[in-house]
Parts: sequence; structure tokens; C-alpha cells
Amino acid sequence: MSLEAFHHSEPLTLGVELELQLVSTHDYDLAPYAEDMLRLMHKTPLPGSVVPEMTNSMIEISTDVCHSCSEVLSQLTPIRDALVKSADKLNIAVVGGGTHPFQQWHERRIYDKPRFHELSALYGYLTKQFTIFGQHVHIGCPDADAALLMLHRMSRYIPHCIALSASSPYVQGQDTQFDSARLNSVFAFPLSGRAPCVLHWTDFEAYFDKMTHTGVVKSMKDFYWDIRPKPEYGTIEIRVFDTPLTIERAAALAGYVQSLGAWFLNEQPFTPQEDDYLVYTYNRFQACRFGLDAVYVDPPTGTHMQLRDHILQTMDKIAPYAEQLGASGAVELLRKDVEAGQNDARWLRDRQREEQMLAEVSRQASIKFRG
Amino acid sequence: MNELMSFWGQWLRPSAGLPTVQWALLLAVASTCGYLVYRHTGLPKVVGYSIVGMVAGLLGFSGAQWPLQGIGLFIMELAISIVLFDAGGRIPWRWFRHNPMVLVQSIAESALTYFAVYWTMLWLNVPHEAAGPIALVAMAASPAVVTRVVADTRAAGPVTDRAIVLATLSTLYALTLGGAHAEMLSRPGSRFFETIPPVMVMFGVSIVVGALLSGLIRIALRYMSPESENTSILVLALIAASTAIAAHLGGSAPLAALIGGMLIKQLHPRPWALPRQLGTASSVLTMLMFVLVSTVAAQADWNLAIAGTVFTLIIVRLVAKAMGVGIGNIGTGASWRQAVWVGAAMMPMSSIALLIASQFMAASASTGAVISSIALPTILLMEVFGAVIATVALYRAGETHKPWAELPTGPSGDEHRES
Repeated sequence: MSLEAFHHSEPLTLGVELELQLVSTHDYDLAPYAEDMLRLMHKTPLPGSVVPEMTNSMIEISTDVCHSCSEVLSQLTPIRDALVKSADKLNIAVVGGGTHPFQQWHERRIYDKPRFHELSALYGYLTKQFTIFGQHVHIGCPDADAALLMLHRMSRYIPHCIALSASSPYVQGQDTQFDSARLNSVFAFPLSGRAPCVLHWTDFEAYFDKMTHTGVVKSMKDFYWDIRPKPEYGTIEIRVFDTPLTIERAAALAGYVQSLGAWFLNEQPFTPQEDDYLVYTYNRFQACRFGLDAVYVDPPTGTHMQLRDHILQTMDKIAPYAEQLGASGAVELLRKDVEAGQNDARWLRDRQREEQMLAEVSRQASIKFRG
Repeated sequence: MNELMSFWGQWLRPSAGLPTVQWALLLAVASTCGYLVYRHTGLPKVVGYSIVGMVAGLLGFSGAQWPLQGIGLFIMELAISIVLFDAGGRIPWRWFRHNPMVLVQSIAESALTYFAVYWTMLWLNVPHEAAGPIALVAMAASPAVVTRVVADTRAAGPVTDRAIVLATLSTLYALTLGGAHAEMLSRPGSRFFETIPPVMVMFGVSIVVGALLSGLIRIALRYMSPESENTSILVLALIAASTAIAAHLGGSAPLAALIGGMLIKQLHPRPWALPRQLGTASSVLTMLMFVLVSTVAAQADWNLAIAGTVFTLIIVRLVAKAMGVGIGNIGTGASWRQAVWVGAAMMPMSSIALLIASQFMAASASTGAVISSIALPTILLMEVFGAVIATVALYRAGETHKPWAELPTGPSGDEHRES
């Protein structure tokens, strides 16, 4: 199978996907209610879509193509409200966060859909351990080459995305000491990590052909890269975000990415190169482990600095573009949290310190999600 | 030899007596049978417990007499109270605000069951005085059996949750109406208004004890973690105390525990972590309850006429529950397929039905005897086959940990299924 042609999309348009947890209101463990939620949600006319995910305690919502983060929020809000209403009807709750804090992976059941069963057959227990919850942000690119350029430029800011969205400190009832433990589960997949550093679509097509020739991949869906091109949409898709605890933060993160994209397109601030990736995995690890307190190694200079300082510097650079795109409020919301050293992982840890009970933390997170 | 016996005799001490040995051995056999049934068929352990109790009862085991009284009655009330306290804690009132149709569904299936069984009993020439109580006994689905089936099959999902809630609500109605009806039956010839005060006393005591129970646990949970073993012991001790007090003061101990569980869920909306911690103590009591129920129920006299009545009752009850759940399903958010399996999962009858029948027996020996002759065999059959039907329903609904096809059939089965 050859690679699909890169479709046209309006530059800097946004699409947001959120994977969400369905939990029981009895013990706040994951509850297999995806099918029932989908049935109820399909009765309500909404923007975007609501679809099943790998295991039947997960659900994925997505927006249509949006032009601004406020439009993202205006689409996510009715979807969230409908989700909450349906959940109330079923006596369950919907929760954000990158992991469920105490679910046991072996108790999960694969959603009854051929592709999920195929993946389960191939990846074994990894598919059930893939009961993790991320936010994906699509950003429209002018053309295929521009998309690859955007992808590799964005790679330098992957630690930003991880630290700002980190909301998965707990796994299987334990504090992992990571702010985002979710990405460790993604790393177990053989085709995860970074995309190959090619800057022209023809080279990417050649790479894809070679990969399909090996029989290892059949489509772009088989790549679990942190950022991957999405030719059928004319976008690149950033996949490292943990699902935030609120849709407001999800929209703000989309606004941040959009502003970064606008900066790249307008100023062409640097040309990505393979050597950028020398520190990629280290920076990624630091952001997952320490969140905003991570060390960031600047790829071109090798300078070490606090990640939070680099995020604030970047926010200064993109501020004019954020203003043009109507994303100033979103970036400001994130800036305040960075200055306060706050992210959702911190909030979850604070709640657990107070409550000493992860199920109660999940309950409070479900209240937070309701808005 | 005489010298040896004389020497040994000096060491003999008064003990708990032969009944204790009999019960201990019976429980050991039940436990083994439950394990083997579970291991080799995938059916819940409660089936094994009930079969052992049934065999013991049919063989004339003298450890439990009908009607229940004394320590046997208390143990059963205590076990029911623990189950109902937990089941009550699964019923959030806010759910009925968001989805009132679930409450309508519950009332529909209970009412349909009552009237269908009542009219069928009249049609079968069962006296009017007995037909009503038998219908009330049939109304109660068993949350005890359903929760054991759920635990053994590790089921989770909409059918599982709804079956537990609807079974608990049917129990609430049956206990309430059954208690009131038993009070009226115990005062034959009294005018309607003369029966109101004792009925109010029964409810009042149950509600006060339930509120006290939930209040004390609420206070404890302010300072103690629900995940602590000590909290579990405290909860068990308080349920035991409330069971004894409610029964002593003329209330209904199971009703008090159920109200207590429902109240604590409203007063304390935090996650319910107690069931996981109640542990072996409550498991032993529950097992004892199942053995006791089937031992007692097996003492009923069977004849062809009774058998015909019992089988008709079971069929009518099955159809009525399924139809009630189905009719009430409109607007509840569940699919029709799920409604069918919810209806099937509500088939089991067990200790609560036996307790309600026991109340009628205590209220009027003559009418009670008629009620018992039909209710006891029904309870016996529906404890065993109800558990099997509920298990099949949860498997067919796809809510068990493993699908039916993967159940173990021999010693090489997956040990992880043991819970």
C-alpha cells in the first residue's frame, strides 16, 4: 500500500481529540460503559465525533476543524456537557487525566471492533496496558513539505507539550515519580518515538514504501510516533499530551500549539536537522519525569536550563502570534500555571496527599471535569 | 482398658457441643464443594454451597429448624444485613434524579411480579391469605446471590450494576411490604387502623436504627480510612449491634441495614472501598447463610401438587420479572438486549425471601405453614438455579472477566479465576 497523497488543509487550523476515562460512581474504578455511552451520545446532535477506543472503559471525543482555540472550546463544551449528562443517566462519571490512578490493566476488556482485536492479537498485554488517555492536536499545514518542516520544528517543543499537559503520575495504584507516566506505556510499542528526520515528502514516501515493503506496517496508523503526519487531513498530529483534567486546559494547549505553528510559518526560525534528535529522548524523559521542573537541553547549543524557563521564553516569542490567533488568554492561562509550577500532575498529587485515597482523587477529578 | 478410659476421662472438658462440630464440618464440605464447582464448571461457588446445604437438609440434618429462631436466625439476619448494607451503598439517589426511569423500571418489575404471582396463586386455589405473602416473597430478587455471582465471575458493566440495584430495590419493597403484611397477619380480626401503629413501630425502629448506623459510620469515616482493616471491623461490629438492636426492638434488621447503607451513600459521597476490605469474616457469614437457607428450605414436604405449584410460580415469576424489566426499560439508557439479561440476572431467591417467609410463619402458624410449603421449595430451587441463570446472563451480556468459551473445564484451568 502506498502513502496517501497529502490533502489540502487551511494552515494553522486545529483539530483536537481527547481520550477520556469512564469510571464507576461506586468505587471510581474504570467501568466498561463505552458502548452505552456511544449509544446515548449518538442521540444528541453535536459537533465533532464520539468514538470507541481500545478498551471498553475509554471513549474518544474530537472536534471538527477549528480556526482558533476558543472555537475548540466552544465545540468541546457541548460535547463535554452531553457526556456528563449521559454519564449521569448511566450512573457513571467521566474523568480526564493521562492514566487511571489505580486500575489494573489485566481487568480491562478489548472493545469489540476488528482493528482493536487485531492489535490485541499482535501486541498481547501491551494493548490492555494501552488503557491510557491522551490528547491529540492536529494542526493544518500549507503543504506536505511544510508539514514535515513543522513536524521536526515542533519536535524541539515536545518537552513543553509533555510538561504542560502532564496528568499521569499514578499507575496501578502507585506514584510513579513521573509527572507523565503515560508515555512510558507508548514507548513499549515497536514503532513509537520520533519520526525519521526527512524534510521532503518524496523522501518520506520513499521511507514509507520501504517500511511497507518489510511488511511491518500497512498504514500510517501503525506508527505510534510522538508527532506524525496525517496526509488524509493535511495536518501533523501531536500525540504526546496527556488528557488534561479539564476541557479548558485542553483548548489552551491547542492554542499554544497553534501559536507555535504560526511562529514557525511566519519566521521560519530554524531549520531542523538530525542532530536535534541527539537530545530528543533525554529531553522527553526529563519532561515526563520532572514535568515543569525538568532540565531542558537546547538542541542547537547544548545549553542546559530549566524547562519552565524555556517555556516562558517561548511564550514571549509566540505572544504576538497568540494575539493574532485569539489565543492570548490560552497562553496566559498556561503561563500562570508555569510560573506557579502547577500542572495537573501536581494537582493530582496534592489531592492524594490530602485524601490518602486514589479513588477519592478520581472522584474529585470527575467533578473538576464537569466544569 | 477401663483404666485407660478413666485416665482419658480426666482430660475431657465441656466443649461447644456436637452441633458446633456438625456445622463446622458442613461448612468445610460446603467450602470444598463451592471451590470444586467453581473450578470445574465456572459456575459461582454459591451453587456448591447451596447444593451441600440442600443435601444436608434432605438427609435430615438437624442443625437448623424451620421456622428459624435463636442463633440461627441471628446469624442469617446478620449475614443479610451485611449484604444489604453493601447493596444499599450502591444506590445513589442522585441517579434517580438523572434517570427516574430506573426507579419506574424497578417499581414496574416488582409490581408485575407481585400481581402475576398473586393471581397465579389464586388461580391454583392457594388461599387468599397465603397468596399475597407468597407474591411478596417472590418479589424479592436476591442481591446476596447476585453479588456473589458478580464476585466469582468478576463481572462489571451496565447489566451487572443494574441487576444489583434492581435486586436491592425489589428487596427494599419486599421487606417493607412483607414486614407490614406480617404485622397485619399477626393481628387477625383487627381493623385496618389498629394495625397501623405496630407497622409504624416496625418501620420507625428500622429507620432510626439505620440512621444511627449510618451516622456512626459517617463519624468514623471522618477519622478512619475506608481502606483500613480496622474500619472494616468497626463496620462489621456496628452492623452486628444494629442487627441485634433492630430485631430486639421490633424493627427489621435487614431493612435497617439497607436504609443505613443507602443513607451513608448520601451522607458520604466518597468512593465505597469497604466491600473489598470486609474480607473473610463476611465471606464466612455469607457462605453460612447460603448453606443455612438451603438446609432449611430442603426440609419442605414435596408432593406432586406442591411441585406443580412451585414450577408454575417459578415460570410466572421469571416471565413477570423479565417483562417488568423490559417494559420499564424504555428511556433508562439500556438496550433491549441488556434488559433481557438484567431480567434473567434477577432470578435468584435466597435468604431474604426465606426471612420474609419466616416473618409470616411467626405471624400466623396456620397461614405460615401454607406459605412455607410453597415458598421453601421455590427458594431452594431458585437459590441454586437462580445463581446459574444469573451467571449465564452475565456471561451472555459479555460483562464477565472472561467469556464463556474460556471457562476452565479441568485442573489445568486458570488459577487467576479464583477470588
